[in-house]
Amino acid sequence: MSDFDPGRRRFLGHLGLAGLGALGASSFLSACASSASGPTTGNGSGAVTIQSNLSSPQAKAAMEKLIANFNAQGKGTASLNTIASETFRTQLPTYLTSANPPDLYTWYAGSVANDYASRNLLLDVSDVWKSLGDYPQSLRTLSTDASGKQIFVPMNNYWWGFFYRKSNFAKWGVQEPKTWTEFLALCETLKSKGVPPIGIGLGDTPWVASAWFDYLNIRINGAPFHRELLAGKQRFDDARVKAVFTRWREALPYFDPKGKAYPFQEATTALLAGKTGMFLIGTFFADAAPKDALGDLDFFRFPIIDPAVPLAEEAPTDGFFASAKTANPTGTKALLTYLSGVEAQEAYVKASSGIVLPANPRAKASDSPLVVKGKAMLDEAKELTQFFNRDSSDALQPTADTALTKFIDKPDQIDAILREWQAGAEKVFKG
Amino acid sequence: MTATISTTPVTPTRRRRRSARLSPLLVAFVLVPFAVESVWVFWPALQGFWFSLTRWDGMSPPTFVGVDNYVEMAGDATFRGALLNTVIWLVLFGGLSVLGGFGMALVLQKERRGVGFYRAALFTPVVFSLVVTALVWRVFYQPDGIADTLLRAVGLEHLIRPWLADPQTALYAVILPALWRQIGYVMVLFLAGLKAIDPALHEAARMDGANAWQRLRHVTIPQLKGVNAVVLSVIVIDSLRSFDIVWSLTKGGPYHSSELLSTYMYSTAFQSLRLGYASAIAVVIFVLALAVILGYLVRAFREEA
Repeated sequence: MSDFDPGRRRFLGHLGLAGLGALGASSFLSACASSASGPTTGNGSGAVTIQSNLSSPQAKAAMEKLIANFNAQGKGTASLNTIASETFRTQLPTYLTSANPPDLYTWYAGSVANDYASRNLLLDVSDVWKSLGDYPQSLRTLSTDASGKQIFVPMNNYWWGFFYRKSNFAKWGVQEPKTWTEFLALCETLKSKGVPPIGIGLGDTPWVASAWFDYLNIRINGAPFHRELLAGKQRFDDARVKAVFTRWREALPYFDPKGKAYPFQEATTALLAGKTGMFLIGTFFADAAPKDALGDLDFFRFPIIDPAVPLAEEAPTDGFFASAKTANPTGTKALLTYLSGVEAQEAYVKASSGIVLPANPRAKASDSPLVVKGKAMLDEAKELTQFFNRDSSDALQPTADTALTKFIDKPDQIDAILREWQAGAEKVFKG
Repeated sequence: MTATISTTPVTPTRRRRRSARLSPLLVAFVLVPFAVESVWVFWPALQGFWFSLTRWDGMSPPTFVGVDNYVEMAGDATFRGALLNTVIWLVLFGGLSVLGGFGMALVLQKERRGVGFYRAALFTPVVFSLVVTALVWRVFYQPDGIADTLLRAVGLEHLIRPWLADPQTALYAVILPALWRQIGYVMVLFLAGLKAIDPALHEAARMDGANAWQRLRHVTIPQLKGVNAVVLSVIVIDSLRSFDIVWSLTKGGPYHSSELLSTYMYSTAFQSLRLGYASAIAVVIFVLALAVILGYLVRAFREEA
């Protein structure tokens, strides 16, 4: 259930549409306005339709298996609709606002879900949460909207960290750093050995840079400030935000210069081939890694900068929410209860390839050392953040992409970049 | 485009009878497409104009804001950049594909052995989907890819840069694949035009002692007037709607340096969810296309009159 699966921001579904001519361009936009009628469930049998963006082969197969199991139990029927990620993302508002929407959706917890909830588009699933008493409070809070009801059911989460190859670190004679100073020293050592220390992949996937911003901000200013900033309650041209970039600048000389040009998938290949030292990325990158390299992978947490700041980690949570207009709330909740159960979550973890942690605390995660270490890291954290777009919105993400790639290119223009970022963000918040 | 309506003499009685009893089939042929067009083209287009006067996120109902979007546009540096890039695109992509296409058509118009092969080779890129084209060119441009290897081979490694990630080169690096495709298309249009020129005209010009350049300037080019109108329309429309190749290669980045009006419109609409502002951009694209094409058509009609 990886958030940023390779196809996520790639443009698939709309090429035909958006390639329309100039006149067509305006009609394309308005076509959405007049689409009052959405996809119809109407097969009369009361089957619950689940709209899924999990289109990678393993994840899709895993979902199909879960739905087949649910149907076999006889508590209701469900049908799965798998949609290409980018299409799903752009169509989600249309699905939810249509007159006859699909019942259940895969999506992200946090501000994205809360935003829909504040428009009364999401089903109150507090009933389902009654059976989830042993879920950690952090997940409950994350799934609760401003009015205090639960609107989201988490399926699993994953973590971000600096990934590296154990054999390469051994070959270079270096260890995992704990603090920022140690981290910079490690970078210097790797650079002196002729290895670009920090891999990154910004071509086509510029959002990867947001992980650096998120982490530096939660390490320097703490998670509460980070959330407020992303919610528009603080300003991007604030001195505290500038401090984030001043820190970042110390590490900039160690970035792989080729990282600007290729996507994160190729940055993964570069890391595995020993062409870069380490790579700040989410566990989903391992989907593309060859099986024999997986055992050689390890990671360390983003180095501590200010020990006084409560420890926070990025742990994007995936799961489900349901449409408020569902014709079959009972069936939808029955399916959600099944999906949040131990059996379904363990089956999903087994069938999908990704390194994910099931949301249900009683469900067993994979027992690979990597997953055990990741789970321990998240358990130790005082605060969990989601990711830039999940803590703000998909609409704010492009403003970050522009600001961060520009900063990496022209770090001396930071004041102007932050002013532009604030102006761009204000437009997004204003609507 | 230049088909002239043949006016055969019709007797007054026959004409009156026709207009009195309009064939229902004819009416259907006119009205049905008109109704379809109205629902799928005219109405959404009008709606687009209306949305450009609103603020709208695609979920809540649109709120009317007057010309706010256009005022914002006037002060929007990204929009100005995109407009400038669109003009550069129109000039470079349009100009070079006309020059290239016309040149290729001239070279390949004579039936010689193997000429079909060259024509097919030039036309092949048109057959590929632009997304496939983008994938191929991405491999070409990637670090240590074919472009870099070629430059190294000829000792120009100091020129190597991240072609698509460098704001200085991104736009031009995207124009190149677009041209690679468009030249073949324009060539075919011109080839068709050249074939339609009466060989007797060239024969006569040659008799009068006109050299090759004079024949090109005074016989071929004036004879291609009809094709030129088609080519111009195709080029302008293709330039303004150029989207797929840019989106698949750079998404308008890095930091808006290869942004066109079309990509800016898309990202404003479907990433920033500011559909009102995006509609305003769409209106500008529409006006631009209309202005260029109308300008040409008015001139063409005036010359004919």
